[in-house]
Amino acid sequence: MGDAFAAPDAGWVRVSPRLALARRIVVLPLVLVVVAAVIVALALAVAPWAAALAGLVGLLVAVWAWWLIGRQVAAVGYAERGDDLLVTRGIMFRELVVVPFGRMQLVDVRAGPLDRRFGIARLQLHTAAATTDASVPGLPAAEAQRLRDHLAALGEARSAGL
Amino acid sequence: MTEASPAPGADLSSRPRRTHPLTPVAEVGDKLPGILVAVFVLGRDLPGGIVVRLGLALLVAVVGAGIGWLIWWRRSFWFDADGDLRIASGVLTRNERRVQSSRLQSVEVSRPFLARLVGLAEVKPEVAGGENAHVRIAYLSEPAAVALRAELLARSAGVRGTGSAAVEAPERVLVRVPARDLAVSTLLNENLILGALVGVATIVVAVVSGQSASLVGILLAGGIPGVGLVNGFLAYYDFSVAESPDGLRLRSGLLSTRAQTVPPGRVQAVRVAQPLLWRRSGWYRVSLNVAGSNRREGENSGVVLLPVAPYPVVRQLLSRVLPGVDIDAVDLVPAPRSARFRAPWQQPRLACGLDDEVFVSRGGRVVRRVDIVPHARTQSVRVTQGPWQRWLGLASVHVDSTPGPVKPAARQRAAVDARAVAEAQVVHAAAARLGFRPERWARSNRPATETP
Repeated sequence: MGDAFAAPDAGWVRVSPRLALARRIVVLPLVLVVVAAVIVALALAVAPWAAALAGLVGLLVAVWAWWLIGRQVAAVGYAERGDDLLVTRGIMFRELVVVPFGRMQLVDVRAGPLDRRFGIARLQLHTAAATTDASVPGLPAAEAQRLRDHLAALGEARSAGL
Repeated sequence: MTEASPAPGADLSSRPRRTHPLTPVAEVGDKLPGILVAVFVLGRDLPGGIVVRLGLALLVAVVGAGIGWLIWWRRSFWFDADGDLRIASGVLTRNERRVQSSRLQSVEVSRPFLARLVGLAEVKPEVAGGENAHVRIAYLSEPAAVALRAELLARSAGVRGTGSAAVEAPERVLVRVPARDLAVSTLLNENLILGALVGVATIVVAVVSGQSASLVGILLAGGIPGVGLVNGFLAYYDFSVAESPDGLRLRSGLLSTRAQTVPPGRVQAVRVAQPLLWRRSGWYRVSLNVAGSNRREGENSGVVLLPVAPYPVVRQLLSRVLPGVDIDAVDLVPAPRSARFRAPWQQPRLACGLDDEVFVSRGGRVVRRVDIVPHARTQSVRVTQGPWQRWLGLASVHVDSTPGPVKPAARQRAAVDARAVAEAQVVHAAAARLGFRPERWARSNRPATETP
């Protein structure tokens, strides 16, 4: 079983690439505003070449953020097995969660305004443990709802109390 | 009391009851020192002498008691047709809460110091789930509180109310913690020793430098851990663990006393810990995760099963809490040597293992600890890996338990094994859930001998 984060037999189901777009829309303007402020400040206080350098660094940061978000979203995946749901995420800090259906206390679907605009939603599984960090962001809205109802039914059927 | 005429055949406890009439007095009495201080400090500039201020304090107390009386008048509790406890309260906005018997995790009867003087007690049933699940029925006379606890536990176990109040199950004391052990172990505290050292250092510096000693520094260094220790000593004084068919009953307290009852099968995880300074005496502390019981006034202590005890006593109690489990017989597999670069101190202690019943993980160098979680209580399983861990070929496996002091995890395993450890845990947990003890334990465990 070599890799600790190997995909199960059925493989990972990846989430919608629209999640990457939604996250980029949130992050990039922030980066740009900060970079612009730094450029202006340096141009006025230091010298034009410092501002140009800052602009270059800012551009690199923006490109890196663009690329990183894409990779992060591509690293999110889930898989349904006979008795449990697997969720994985992260590149630097990798995580894999196994949530048995019999332990699910409730299943949430949440979608912010931007998520709704892009037709995606976040599915969140809750167990009696607060440390269970099983959420799947960026599911297509219809899929999120289908999965919620499906998982809730499975959870009901296998519920084993606490 | 509004006589809600009970339906024929309904038992006594299904009629709405009020708490003890002295409740408002006891509630205000708790706050009286605070009121006095507030009036005297805030009312410094008021004209008139001490009489005016005393009068003001009295007025505040009387108004408070009046409001308290209204609240008391409008609060009642009863058992509904499903055997769940209902509590109706609220003066203007009415509020009705339901304590679902099948989800009862533990019951506590506590007697805060002032209430104890007048023979009152409060009952706190702990229910799993929900942030605001904290329920408190205060105050009742002591016999009424004990009867309510017995009734809650009996209904939770699936025994229907049989007309009169449920009889409290007989109990047998298993362990009593000697006051001497508690006192010595309380003083053998790293923080206290550190605080004392800092205090001495402060005095030495003050004397050498010729400046007046910084009293504040000394107070901060010694006082803060000191207050915690005194509180701990008062809270765990005369700690005893008793066994009854209702579950384990944990009693303790010098001024305020409390008795917690944890029904069988409600223990989610166990931690056995040994702080550095207890090693010589061979003492251990045992704490539990019990769902719903960790919201006590911000402190995240869960349930303390034993504040201090030698190993044979710990073993004896563990065999009650986790029947059929022999902790010493579980094979522990140590973490790989490469874990030294991630956890240089802990590495020699890091280990995990499992048997048919429980998952065990070991760790901690200064405070040695062993965490035990029954397979049947495993919530979810996680594998995590940071960049440094990946570089070393390590990963951690977390076995998630309900919130509490115990966070079982096999840290710094070889990455190639981590997934196998996690999957094995998932399989064991699934198997254990099938042979799961029912929520209403008395229904299956007590044979039909109780039928009338």
